[in-house]
Amino acid sequence: MIATDLFIAARNLARHTRRNLLLASAIGGVTAMLVLLGGLTTGMREAMLHSATTLMTGHVNLAGFFKITSGTAAPIVAGWEKPWDAVKDRIPELDYMAPRGRGWAKAVADGGSMDLVLAGVELSREPGFHKVIQVVDGSLEELGKPGTILLFQDQAKRLGVKPGDTLTLSAPTTRGASNTADVRVAAVARNIGLLSAFNAFIPADTLRQLYQLKAGTTGAVQIYLKDPADSAKVAARLRAALRDAGWRVMDPDPQPYWQKLMFKVNAEDWTGQKLDVTTWEDEMSFLSWIVTAVTWLGNVLVTVLMVIVAVGIVNTLAIAIRERTREIGTLRAIGMQRTQVLRLTLLEAFLLGLGGAVAGALLGAAVGAGLNGAGIELPETMQYFLLQRNLHLAIHPGQVAVYVAFVTALTTVAASWPSAYAARMRPVTAMHHVG
Amino acid sequence: MPEPIVEAVDVAKVYQLGKTQVHALRHVDLVVERGEFLSIAGPSGSGKTTLLNLIGGVDVPSSGTVRVDGEDTSKLTERALTRLRLDHIGFIFQTFNLVAVLTVFQNVEFPLLLQGRMSSDDRRRRVNALLEAVGLADHARHRPSELSGGQRQRVAVARALVANPPLVLADEPTANLDSVTGGHIIDLMREMNRRDGTTFIFSTHDPKVMSHASAIVRLEDGRVVGRETAQGAEAR
Ligand SMILES: Nc1ncnc2c1ncn2[C@@H]1O[C@H](COP(=O)(O)OP(=O)(O)OP(=O)(O)O)[C@@H](O)[C@H]1O
Ligand SMILES: [Mg+2]
Repeated sequence: MIATDLFIAARNLARHTRRNLLLASAIGGVTAMLVLLGGLTTGMREAMLHSATTLMTGHVNLAGFFKITSGTAAPIVAGWEKPWDAVKDRIPELDYMAPRGRGWAKAVADGGSMDLVLAGVELSREPGFHKVIQVVDGSLEELGKPGTILLFQDQAKRLGVKPGDTLTLSAPTTRGASNTADVRVAAVARNIGLLSAFNAFIPADTLRQLYQLKAGTTGAVQIYLKDPADSAKVAARLRAALRDAGWRVMDPDPQPYWQKLMFKVNAEDWTGQKLDVTTWEDEMSFLSWIVTAVTWLGNVLVTVLMVIVAVGIVNTLAIAIRERTREIGTLRAIGMQRTQVLRLTLLEAFLLGLGGAVAGALLGAAVGAGLNGAGIELPETMQYFLLQRNLHLAIHPGQVAVYVAFVTALTTVAASWPSAYAARMRPVTAMHHVG
Repeated sequence: MPEPIVEAVDVAKVYQLGKTQVHALRHVDLVVERGEFLSIAGPSGSGKTTLLNLIGGVDVPSSGTVRVDGEDTSKLTERALTRLRLDHIGFIFQTFNLVAVLTVFQNVEFPLLLQGRMSSDDRRRRVNALLEAVGLADHARHRPSELSGGQRQRVAVARALVANPPLVLADEPTANLDSVTGGHIIDLMREMNRRDGTTFIFSTHDPKVMSHASAIVRLEDGRVVGRETAQGAEAR
């Protein structure tokens, strides 16, 4: 029976080629939009994830705060190798790890001054760094030498410095006093949107000197996984393992460390070292509104389109069913059940939806591939928010399949109203309806 | 004595047409025995179609009872009524009413698919046997639009008979055909009636068509005004 249903449904669709083609193209158009918008948001998310996790946060961070008195917290892990040793065998997902110093300083140069968020890096431990940082002036190797700094273009402009120039960093140490260090500009890198507004990089040792920290002290052990999707799982595992090993571990809290430092930790009543295991999503939560906004905008657009298409489907099917009044009446008269009529008309909509959606998805994927291939450079302001230079859509087959399923389901649901009307049709219409 | 295939007792059908009520049938009593080849005759608007609809279970009476093969149609659920039509009644329509997108073979096969009881081999044998019987064995793969009116009605006859129902209803089966072709259709129906003992009830205006009937029930203004047996009918 299902074979015959399929056959009838397909033939019915073929009977009104123009009308159905029009509807299928509308369905296809919406699917293509979905695929492209989805590709855009996924692309943004992936670019953000990639740039941000390479520059600012690991997929999972073994970090923490140290408080000498309950009101003076520093974002450091003293003797980081001990807690790391306690957990390092528990991360089969590990790609690589790198300790990162965390700090904040005022940079002063001849041309001006500004606040910088400092990351203390050991370049030799960070294979990803080279891939994300694009040096436009100077050389990245220089950053391996002590007493240097890597700035982004806008920062260099603001401070009025170029590679080889010196600037002074002034930072509050854990003991409350201020300390300064002179650093030489090693390189100037291309802006990476929002990330390059305040972040600068100096060698880990230089950061420790600035803050007068011991050799075994770092800000966070940034842990990179083979698949970032495992972050939450790994973070939970590490938290438990560290607790078992006797460390004081903070409860999960989706905020970046600097928010915790400014608004949370100092208000708590404890001293000494506490560890804090976070994921890149926690550290990036202040950026996620961008993705949310784009996703939302896309959703509004797609919803409007879908409503239009749904109305089209309802109308077209209603017409098709009215035209077939006598045929449906005949089928009912000779013994077809209402549920079978319903199934038949729904099947027709399902086929139409599936055909349109598959075609649209292919079109969307092709257009997306074309856009990616064309290497379109984004306008500055968009680069700023999207953390990427060229337009890049990430179109994944699994996600496309979800869109196709979604649009097909929507078409079928929209068809349920005219289909229910068809199913309620009385068999007498087979005799009475003329034409 | 087996029970009659159709038994209508004091049947009335009232249609609401805006504010006025149309009494399409009043106080109709009718018994049809198994194996009859019964014609329902009467002028236009006399209620022939209405009566066939009630017997066919595509509609239920406003009052009175209609029993088909022992089942009281107004006591059945929509589902059971549909099942009664599928298993016990074959329909032949004035306008043929074939499914345009299906081939001749598929149209005839359709009731068997709805029943879902036969294997595809059995279905093929059954459908081919019927197409043979109605003289359309060579047209199995054609679509209805490629056939003449007479051929289409033959397909309809085959479809009505394919599930081997005890009762076949035909509302003016020859009205859209020329008299020669119409005569062939009636001959075909009569042959099936004789061969399988299937009861046929058909309506018609045409005296020549009526003359084939084993009995004629005359309707006028929604009432049964007479019933003639074969001899009387053929004498006309
Ligand atoms: N659905 C309906 N709504 C209102 N009135 C109806 C309906 N169906 C039939 N009638 C009326 O009931 C009466 C009987 O109609 P019916 O179709 O049964 O007559 P008939 O004998 O089949 O006529 P014809 O020879 O023209 O086919 C007519 O007056 C008709 O107008
Ligand atoms: Mg009629």
